[in-house]
Amino acid sequence: MAPQTPAVVMDNGTGYTKLGFAGNDSPSFVFPTAIATKGPAGGAGGTGSGRPAVASKPNFLTGAGSGGGGNLSAKRGTEDLDFFIGDEALAAAAGPGYGLHYPIRHGQIENWDQMERFWSNSIFKYLRVEPEDHYFLLTEPPLNPPENRENTAEIMFESFNCAGLYIAVQAVLALAASWTSSKVQDRSLTGTVIDSGEGVTHVIPVAEGYVIGSSIKSIPIAGRDITYFVQSLLRDRGEPDSSLKTAERIKEEFCYVCPDIVKEFARFDREPDDRFKKYEVQQPGGRSVVLDVGYERFLAPEIFFNPEIYSSDFLTPLPTIVDTVIQTSPIDVRRGLYKNIVLSGGSTLYKDFGRRLQRDIRHLVDARIKASEARAGNAAKSGGLDVQVITHRRQRHGPWFGGSLLGQTPEFRSYCHTKAEYEEIGPSIVRRFALLGGPGST
Amino acid sequence: MLLLDYQNLLIESQLRERLKPDATPTTLDQIVSDFDNTTFHLSTPESKSRLLISLSIKCFPQLLQYGAQSVLEREYGPYIVTPPESGYDFSVQLDLENLPSSPEERDDLVRRISLLKRNAMAAPFEQAFDEFASLSEQAKGYTSESAPQGVREGGEVRAIQYREEEAIYIKASHDRVTVIFSTIFREETDRVFAKVFLQEFVDARKRGVQNAPQVLSRDEPPLELQGMPGLKGAKGEVTYVTFVLFPRHLTPQRRDEVISHIQTFRDYFHYHIKASKAYIHSRMRRRTADFLQVLRRARPETEEAGARERKTASGRAFRVQA
Repeated sequence: MAPQTPAVVMDNGTGYTKLGFAGNDSPSFVFPTAIATKGPAGGAGGTGSGRPAVASKPNFLTGAGSGGGGNLSAKRGTEDLDFFIGDEALAAAAGPGYGLHYPIRHGQIENWDQMERFWSNSIFKYLRVEPEDHYFLLTEPPLNPPENRENTAEIMFESFNCAGLYIAVQAVLALAASWTSSKVQDRSLTGTVIDSGEGVTHVIPVAEGYVIGSSIKSIPIAGRDITYFVQSLLRDRGEPDSSLKTAERIKEEFCYVCPDIVKEFARFDREPDDRFKKYEVQQPGGRSVVLDVGYERFLAPEIFFNPEIYSSDFLTPLPTIVDTVIQTSPIDVRRGLYKNIVLSGGSTLYKDFGRRLQRDIRHLVDARIKASEARAGNAAKSGGLDVQVITHRRQRHGPWFGGSLLGQTPEFRSYCHTKAEYEEIGPSIVRRFALLGGPGST
Repeated sequence: MLLLDYQNLLIESQLRERLKPDATPTTLDQIVSDFDNTTFHLSTPESKSRLLISLSIKCFPQLLQYGAQSVLEREYGPYIVTPPESGYDFSVQLDLENLPSSPEERDDLVRRISLLKRNAMAAPFEQAFDEFASLSEQAKGYTSESAPQGVREGGEVRAIQYREEEAIYIKASHDRVTVIFSTIFREETDRVFAKVFLQEFVDARKRGVQNAPQVLSRDEPPLELQGMPGLKGAKGEVTYVTFVLFPRHLTPQRRDEVISHIQTFRDYFHYHIKASKAYIHSRMRRRTADFLQVLRRARPETEEAGARERKTASGRAFRVQA
């Protein structure tokens, strides 16, 4: 019998939430971070606490009690439990009566009420655990304000009484996840993480487990933009079905990264039978139409490397950004950052994405070294710089998998903040944390 | 969500996926947890199409003592693997290439396996309910005075130590079955919430829910548990919650439902305590936001209205006319 209960790993992202237990190789549940509550959608007026049920504004001067009391009697029921999360939320919001909310925006929790209920449902309905019996590993985006960490700790400890809590930075977990790759020899927490999800792509330098906040760059091109681009290509060609869903399927099934666009165009024209594909769509009416899949196969991911084909305001290619990020980091870690460029997130899964990125970054680096050698007049020779992009099998749920990996290590529990410590010190306890998986621990 | 599900959602979804007619077998190795320190292990140790589902539950020896084996055999008959996977208490294996063909049977199988924990825990309840049936049969011949010792007293108390410090006790008598939960609240706040909730349960019968089982809660062990070993607890920490199930709850049609319900009582209880806290927190946040708004409005307006000194680009000062 297992004496220790497995730690619960929860990675709440802007788009999707990944839930599971430490030690597993994939999350048990992956569903949208959405919550459907009674009442209209919170897009417009959801600024405050976002509880549409409490409509009347209490009057503090004449009688604070009357407003509150009136609410109390009206709230004897269980309306606050009338909500759904995840895929069920999407289904419920499609019908009448429920509004859909996304409590996390740009990686950060915006609506704590909804998040608290979202967690409560994740724990009790989906994971089926007693929070008292389990340690929790939560994730946060880089540059998360410490106030948010405190709020999270407050909810986890005071509402759920969880046994222990560790809040890890997603980028660091993504680095830990790359330890499964055979290319990684030493398990260091130094590297550059390229995290490309649905909404935004971040390039995050991490030195010894600490994020170098001043050098983080984000790129407004990510999964959704690739989907839009595929869709626009389909529309331009006048394909019979160009819905967003079809575009997304085509993106996931057929797209890959090519080494050179011009050559790839030539190759498509030379061997059309091999390269052009057909995709069959079942339309709602029961009809099915067949689409041609052509140049978008390699053009779509190309917007990372040549953004000008998609966007008119963002023109810097991803390899240049990565290079800039590393060049703006402290000089003593740059070598480590170049050597360990880790991919994470669904939009980095295209075939040969890593290889192309590695080649492009190496070109930039080599050109710079050559230029500086020329300036030195052959007096100083560079030993060269190792550029390595790591692709691995756990990329899609990288941060979650890293959490699962670290959560099952025997020393994980000693890194957690426990309930007793929380009661002693208060929420500010989470401002200080020991680095899990850092030097000297594994 | 008012009631918790009885089945394990994760096992259900995993199996449903794998038991689809067109699903391709894949390897699987997952640890799944459930309430009360129960752990499942889903794996495909031999080949991709042989799915092993193992259960580890804290009180399994006690459950065996109360006839869990026969209940599990009834539910999972041909799928049981003996001996179970090492480290676990009970295992079933599904051969994905050799399954019932009709979708209904498959659905039924998925449902049954996702209820594994519930079924394992159901054994002592079923045994007690059977005992109740036979006792009430015997008691028919006697009046309450003339009944022999065994019938009047009822059967033995079945104890299930399902958590480290908490247990369920079940006792059958000729006219009812008593189920007693001992629960512990470490947290002061939780204890207060629990008290309110339990009072609601106790009062439920007064408020028109006549069919509900009678609920009692108290701080010291009830009389039924006199002489039970392992009863401890500093006063105030342990609460004993007694459910009295009457014959109308114990009819064969109702039985399964009642067992499922009563098993999830503790988790249900804790879930609602936490949900109420979440609710109160949301009201607190709203209040704070409202107070802050009032404070912001109360800022003195003199700054705005008074004449202020402004400077031009060249550095000369002048007064703004109000």
